Amino acid sequence: MHAHNTQQEWEDYRQRELRAAIPVLEKLGFGLEDEQPHTGGERFLMAGARDVGGGGYKLVLLGTRRADGKRVVIKTSSDKEGIREICTERKARETLQTLKFAYRMLRAPEEILYATHGAHIIFITAYIEQEQSFLSRPIAEQFSLALQAFKAQESVHATAYSHARAIRTVFGIRGVQEYLDSFDAFCAAAARNDSQDRALAQSLAKARAFIAEHRDTIEQYCGFLTHADFVPHNLRVHEGNVYLLDSASLHFGNKYESWARFANFMLLYNRPLERALLQYVHDNRTPEEELSLRLMRIYKLGKLLEYHTGALSKTAGNLNTLSKKRVEFWREVLESLLDNRPLSDDVISRYQRERDSLRSIEEKKRQEALH
Amino acid sequence: MRIVLATPLYPPEIAEPGPYIKELAKRLVKLHGVTIVAYARLPEKVPGVRIVAVDKRQPLLRRLISFFFALLHAAREADIIYAMNGASVELPVALLSLFMSRPLIVRIGDMAAHERARSGWLRSIERSAFTRARRVITDGPAPRPEILPFETFPAEQLGTHERSWEEHLRMLEDLFTHARS
Repeated sequence: MHAHNTQQEWEDYRQRELRAAIPVLEKLGFGLEDEQPHTGGERFLMAGARDVGGGGYKLVLLGTRRADGKRVVIKTSSDKEGIREICTERKARETLQTLKFAYRMLRAPEEILYATHGAHIIFITAYIEQEQSFLSRPIAEQFSLALQAFKAQESVHATAYSHARAIRTVFGIRGVQEYLDSFDAFCAAAARNDSQDRALAQSLAKARAFIAEHRDTIEQYCGFLTHADFVPHNLRVHEGNVYLLDSASLHFGNKYESWARFANFMLLYNRPLERALLQYVHDNRTPEEELSLRLMRIYKLGKLLEYHTGALSKTAGNLNTLSKKRVEFWREVLESLLDNRPLSDDVISRYQRERDSLRSIEEKKRQEALH
Repeated sequence: MRIVLATPLYPPEIAEPGPYIKELAKRLVKLHGVTIVAYARLPEKVPGVRIVAVDKRQPLLRRLISFFFALLHAAREADIIYAMNGASVELPVALLSLFMSRPLIVRIGDMAAHERARSGWLRSIERSAFTRARRVITDGPAPRPEILPFETFPAEQLGTHERSWEEHLRMLEDLFTHARS
């Protein structure tokens, strides 16, 4: 019943929002594309699931500008939290262009329109066409593009009093205490979501203790611009330049948070790239930085486990079975990181097989469009 | 020799002269006593090197005063002060020379800061530090090449980097010895 409610709530919201937004967009000179990959599949599980930048109901739509046929990305919401997230994203984009202590510029898609219409906020940016998707590029190119984006973020380091003043009101600033508090919240939520899973509770408690033990190492690399959801679907590559999407996920925190999210993702989608990233850090950065990356990977897994245990009560059938498999798999990944040993490739391929057999067709299509 | 390295940037800051100072300290400590006075909060450690960190998150005046006293304290037992350019170091270093006659060498490692000091009060601060220094240098070692997973191991560039450091250290040793005499 609960599973049905969550999906139904999202469906109702999507229909209501679209009914209201389409005429407004038409009036502004924009039309929607027939395929809308960002609103279907498992998208209903993600509403309100962000750990950075707010989070609420919002629609991400693909459209075109009637005047010249230019493809655009439209974000719209009438939900209080969704509006806040869109506002945060815009402010973040604007502020980034003005930061004097940024050594390199981060590229973001051109803004086309930002307006409020009645209860709706509408934010339209250019759609960045890419010659090919990130994951279909040669691995050396994927590595080089990711590194380029990581370095651009790392060049924005807010250390001085004036820096903190310039960003405090726009971006969140996280130090080790905020990370620990968030991790505690992940643990508590995971325990509420799945009180029977003793192994998960133990793994999370071990992870919490490990993070706390190395709190200085986390704090040492804080103050850097970092993206909480640095994954291929938030990157677009055009003519060799990387564009970073979802600016609401940008905040000041540990510089390895982006790396960690990316490495965890690549463990599943492109293992050689994950290994290459770890090797790069080992060869070119300090041992403290290497530890910091490991700590942030553990932190990000806490968030992921909270998210997947949260899906247990919102799903039914195959998706519910898949959620259970996801919790088991990411817990194994967490254990391997805590023990500082590589996860067996067999564990990964077994999970991939199970995932592919349990995913809906709609979700498979959404995943294809994302990556 | 007891050497004080004064720097406006230090790792985890990635901008120069931060990485240069850390690498220099690593190499100098094999033969000398080294203290780093840096604007930093949780600086990366170097075995055998004493690091005095002045928190940058304080308001400007307070952190300048903190840096000055940290430098004063460290310089008491030093034979030489090797300072990186940048107003936040140049000002305390220039003031210190009014109270203490320690040989001072300044290195222009942050060209952007040097460019900013072409006019106005930044220029006055830079000049006052430079005129009190025994030498102002711009020399530096070749940057360390990155080891990239999908590219050939940069053995030759790493060799060049290593040789440039050896040469740079020889030059500094010579400079420090002459500055003391």
